[in-house]
Amino acid sequence: MPRYRVFIVISILAFGVIFSSSVFVGASASSQAITLSQVTPTFDISRLNQPPTVIPPAQADNGAQVYWGMCMPCHGDHGQGLTEEWRDSFPPDKRDCWQSGCHGSDHPKNSFEIPTTGAPALSGAGALSRFSNSFELNHHIQQNMPLFPTGSLTSEEAWSLTAYILRMNDRQPNGFTLSEVNGSAIPVHQKVKSPQSTIPGLLTLIGILILTAIGLELQPKFDHTKPNFFHHLHPPSIPAKQSRFRYTLGAGGMAVFLSVILLVTGLLEMYYYIPTSDQAAISVETIVSLVPLGNLIRNLHYWSAQFLVIVMTIHLLRVALTGAYAPPRRFNHVLGLGLLVFTLLLDFTGYVLRWDEGIRWALVVGANLIKTIPWIGAGLYQFVIGGSEPGNATLTRFYTWHIFGLTLGEAILIVWHIFRVRRDGGISVPPPVERIEKDRITRFELLKREVLVMIIVGIILLLFSMIVPAPIKQPISDTTALTGNSRAPWFFLWVQQLLKFGDPFLLGILTPVLVVIALGVMPYLLPNANCAELGRWFPRGNRIAQILTVLLFLVILVLTFLGAISQ
Amino acid sequence: MNKTTRLSRRDFIKLSTNVLFGLSGLLGLSGLIRYFSYLPATETPTEFDLGDVASYPIGSRTVRSDIPAVIYNRQGEILAYSLVCTHLGCTIENNDNGFACPCHGSQFDRDGVVLEGPAQKPLKRLRVEVLENNMLRLYTG
Repeated sequence: MPRYRVFIVISILAFGVIFSSSVFVGASASSQAITLSQVTPTFDISRLNQPPTVIPPAQADNGAQVYWGMCMPCHGDHGQGLTEEWRDSFPPDKRDCWQSGCHGSDHPKNSFEIPTTGAPALSGAGALSRFSNSFELNHHIQQNMPLFPTGSLTSEEAWSLTAYILRMNDRQPNGFTLSEVNGSAIPVHQKVKSPQSTIPGLLTLIGILILTAIGLELQPKFDHTKPNFFHHLHPPSIPAKQSRFRYTLGAGGMAVFLSVILLVTGLLEMYYYIPTSDQAAISVETIVSLVPLGNLIRNLHYWSAQFLVIVMTIHLLRVALTGAYAPPRRFNHVLGLGLLVFTLLLDFTGYVLRWDEGIRWALVVGANLIKTIPWIGAGLYQFVIGGSEPGNATLTRFYTWHIFGLTLGEAILIVWHIFRVRRDGGISVPPPVERIEKDRITRFELLKREVLVMIIVGIILLLFSMIVPAPIKQPISDTTALTGNSRAPWFFLWVQQLLKFGDPFLLGILTPVLVVIALGVMPYLLPNANCAELGRWFPRGNRIAQILTVLLFLVILVLTFLGAISQ
Repeated sequence: MNKTTRLSRRDFIKLSTNVLFGLSGLLGLSGLIRYFSYLPATETPTEFDLGDVASYPIGSRTVRSDIPAVIYNRQGEILAYSLVCTHLGCTIENNDNGFACPCHGSQFDRDGVVLEGPAQKPLKRLRVEVLENNMLRLYTG
């Protein structure tokens, strides 16, 4: 099959592109890693200045202030310890810190003795060698520092100091807030890449793809007759004309493929994701920054979910614009819409699982929208949110729905939808007597084409996952509501835009529901394509439905665009 | 004998079983609804100590984003408005005319009156009390 050669060539080309870009990325990363340690011959007094105030302060910025006030005199302005060079910054009569009894001749009444080894360095080679993780480091700080009076730091100060010391050593993961619960997971000595490189995972996956492609290329040469399990999922043969990509757009197959990717990557994420309000965003950060291949797996999950919405929309448009939902496929059209709704709910619950500042307002707005439903609004709100306002209970419920309830529903709908495709006689075609082209392709050929589409989609997915990381922001905290992240997720931007025009219930709940209902009843209420025109684009019979669908699509597209450009 | 008005034995049993199935289903549903009706006790604070009256001088305008609320001192009278948008609950932000909602663009003036929709209701006025020791307390409930 020449077509088969094509995708092997594509795979190898993609491999080459990614490999060369990995070299490029690696090179730029290593050039960043080189930091020049400057040696200043004369002491620069500005080194004693208070560190600048950062707003809003990260944990390490608070630590910098504490460090300046309490630790710097002994441990140095950049954690170098009590070196001779640093000691020379002291006034001449106070430089004998090496001696017992600090501050020389006039040391204060209740002063303390510096250990004879001096104050150790906190950064640089060999520093902090006795600590393996942040929890141990923090414990030491809180138990033994500052020397006078020992243990006088609050827990918050100690953690912010730990964060600052990690930053000094260039080992603080971005966006983390260290605390008792995650401290033992954050290493002191292992350099944290933030976020993790996706290259090793990409190389692994592309290797798998190429090996599979070669295997699939070779396999039929040895085994012509026996259909395997995947062949048996397909009819023995289907009409050649309707199996072309330009008719199906491959969208149904892509949707199945993306769903499988989502299932696998989602299951893998569950091993590290912690669904509590104080841990969720941190555990996502852990996946992204610490778990090997975690960043790639999360990006794949994210991009599959986004692509699934697009692919499903394309599938819906294809079915409407070819009139394929004509009887007996009316009910399957409704099942397909159900799948779209479930997918949007899965996307929204998955989006909320980040539990970072980026999702705060979308959750508040979504929750308050439920309240506006007459009669059942209050009860439904309580059922969905699990309390009087979004909180830990909401996250637990969204998690349960995302990984179990909605996923189960989606799985049942997928199986039902595909079963109905077969039950309703496969892809929509005119009845045999009215068919002009009689050519058919076998299931072997069909499966090959499907695998080809999967590989192409897989490569696109990998490229996106490498170039555009899935978003994650700082964890939601009760005290610092950040502004500027008030945009809905992109697939609900059109609803957000609608909400700007008036009544929340009419525009935010009723309108989307009516859109779905309108699409669902189309095959029942509007004229359908007659069976002779099936199996091609734009049949005359269901012209009204085609126009309606395209109009709805364009309106939603324009609203999404307006929502995206506002502010 | 009037056979047509009488239910046959078979139909009676069929009807009875259906009614029983229906009742057991309703019973199960009511149990489910009861299960989901539990509302945990709210932990959201509704009282906030604002500190000394003296820290709100005449003519001042203080935004407390943690409540969220804005506190005015107009000629000695302390006023407070909630900064929760009355449309769909986002926290509104300062602008030149008063406040604007980042989510759907509602605008309010400094006294919480709606300048521009989609919000319909004015900002909620919050009760502020001066305690004996000249401390202020705000009630959001």
